[in-house]
Amino acid sequence: MATLGCVMHSEGPLLETLTRRLSECPPDFLLEPFAMEKGEIHVDAVVSDLIRDLGGKRLMVHELEIFGAGPSQKKQPAAVQVVKRLQDLKMGGASPQNNRIRLILVASWLLHDSWFVTEGTFAREAFVLLSKGLDLMATVVPAEKCVSDPERREELVRLCLAKLGLRPAGETGLQAQDRLTTLDSVERDRVMRKARAAEQRAHDIREAMKKKAAEEAAAKYNRE
Amino acid sequence: MKKSFQASAISDQRARKLTLDRLRQHPHAPKWRAQGEDRVQADDLAWLDSFSRQLTRSRKGWGPGKPSESVLEWIEKARVTTPYHRARIPSHVRLPEDWHDLPTMTREDVALHPEHMVPDDADLKRMLVYRTAGTTGHAILVPHHARAVASYQPMMEHVLRRYGIRPRFTAQSVACFLICSQRQTVTWAATLSYWKGAGFAKVNLNPSEWPTKESPQKYISELAPQFLTGDPFSYSDLLRLEVPVRPSAMFTTAVAMRPGLKRRLVEQFACPIIDWFSLIETGPIGYACPQGDAYHIMPHDIHVEVLDENEHPVPPGVRGEITVTGGRNPCLPLIRYRTRDWGTLDFTPCSCGDPMPRIIGLEGRTPMNFRTADGSLVNSADLSRILREFPLVQHEFRQKADLTCEITIRPITSVAVDEEQIRTALQKALGNLPIELRQDPELGNELHTGKVISYQSELMVND
Repeated sequence: MATLGCVMHSEGPLLETLTRRLSECPPDFLLEPFAMEKGEIHVDAVVSDLIRDLGGKRLMVHELEIFGAGPSQKKQPAAVQVVKRLQDLKMGGASPQNNRIRLILVASWLLHDSWFVTEGTFAREAFVLLSKGLDLMATVVPAEKCVSDPERREELVRLCLAKLGLRPAGETGLQAQDRLTTLDSVERDRVMRKARAAEQRAHDIREAMKKKAAEEAAAKYNRE
Repeated sequence: MKKSFQASAISDQRARKLTLDRLRQHPHAPKWRAQGEDRVQADDLAWLDSFSRQLTRSRKGWGPGKPSESVLEWIEKARVTTPYHRARIPSHVRLPEDWHDLPTMTREDVALHPEHMVPDDADLKRMLVYRTAGTTGHAILVPHHARAVASYQPMMEHVLRRYGIRPRFTAQSVACFLICSQRQTVTWAATLSYWKGAGFAKVNLNPSEWPTKESPQKYISELAPQFLTGDPFSYSDLLRLEVPVRPSAMFTTAVAMRPGLKRRLVEQFACPIIDWFSLIETGPIGYACPQGDAYHIMPHDIHVEVLDENEHPVPPGVRGEITVTGGRNPCLPLIRYRTRDWGTLDFTPCSCGDPMPRIIGLEGRTPMNFRTADGSLVNSADLSRILREFPLVQHEFRQKADLTCEITIRPITSVAVDEEQIRTALQKALGNLPIELRQDPELGNELHTGKVISYQSELMVND
């Protein structure tokens, strides 16, 4: 579960305020991230500005490297490119690495809400969240969905709040955790993969049993 | 030294090949319906040796109650790796404290979803599939495993020793024949690695399977198996044919043997007749004590309890359903499997010296003989073979004194069955006797255990 271990000890802003903000995410934040001389938006600069606005220090070069879009697909071996392409299709055209960066951009837009800026105390948590807290979600949810789909918007908002140790205003910690668990795409994906694997295994066993029942002559030394 | 070891290995291989040829190509050999093969692999041999040692070393008595540490450990693994157990055993159940809260399972569970019984880590390449004989219910498919089947060999050997018999297995000898007497069954011959390449054959006494009328006598006596396995029906045919064979023992399986037949077999073959209580689902459970009518629990790695119809354990001496946990079939881990066989458990020490508890008054596997219109005998196994081709949960078949038959079937829910097809198939085996067939979708539901008596006969049965 993506939020396992998060303690939502403080009350944050209203959920609706943040989901509305996400739905109003400017198209610029969904542009191609800049990497390998390509793309239009410099994610490291966006993150750097955000951390500063949240009361943090200027990020170091090695800290900013985390927000690079990764190597160009052209440099990958052919087989890797095929696999990546398949993953891209699942992610609505973005590679997992690319989707991660896009999701960081969308989350950066979210965290630039005036509530966080005014508080001015979330720079460290925000940096941890953006540098690794969205990785799992990025493997299963296309960044665009976190803007266009109401459920995924709510999930991203709740995930970000939880990682910052916050719960939506007016909710108890238990309510907030319960709702986040319900929306958890990573968990849903894990359960679905598990169910698919179990169904495949059951199918394989049924097929093997059909085949082996037909053989019947296997060594057995008495009637039972 | 190395050279002589190699030479001996080669000569053993040659001897094994010669034994196999002798079994398969003997002028009086029956028709072989399958190739048959010994599926024991090199690493199984060490495992089987170790299992054999444990059979002796780990034999100890137990009292009524919870299973041994090793069985509990086995359950803990099975409840995690087996889809069926994962879904049925609540995570809050702690062992051994909550032992009696573990749900029981029945053959219907195996029948309906055998694929859920196979653990996630079971190797499907080594899986075998057997059909039950259907003696105590409709025949079902049972996932099994080559190694678990091979474990019957050390168990038989152990029991033979309990009877003072020490068979000598060599690549030149024939270890055992499985004797059948059925209208149709799979027959095969092989040599067995665990028994040092000794021969084995499953033969069917049905006259249509042999080249001449005298062939069964000649084949069986000339191949001279050291011991036999078979059911009472087959052994009574062996008596009738007066096969001049001198086995050191005869294991009797599948259904209960009546005392009259046992006496006649002892007179004719002059060897111990060893009752062997075994189900395909569980593997061997017990063997008849050499000094009495009770069955000692056979392997050390199962836990046997006796339950009432509400799944509660009954006190020692009180009759209930024999329920088995454990075993060594990696494709079907059974936890509290209700066998449909009934008896009582006796934990008191036995004068024979085997410390394992005894099952007393075992019942549930009464042999049934049926007759065709011209008076020929029909084995219930043949009827099971026919009925298993239809999608039934269970059935009750009864032959009346006037030879007419009745059958009540319970089809698998929402599956249509062709009544006429069932009737015609049964009539083919029973010589066109009238058969009254009816469907009852709730057959067995009125009984606490859901258990029905699959075969009944009003005919006088000749021991």
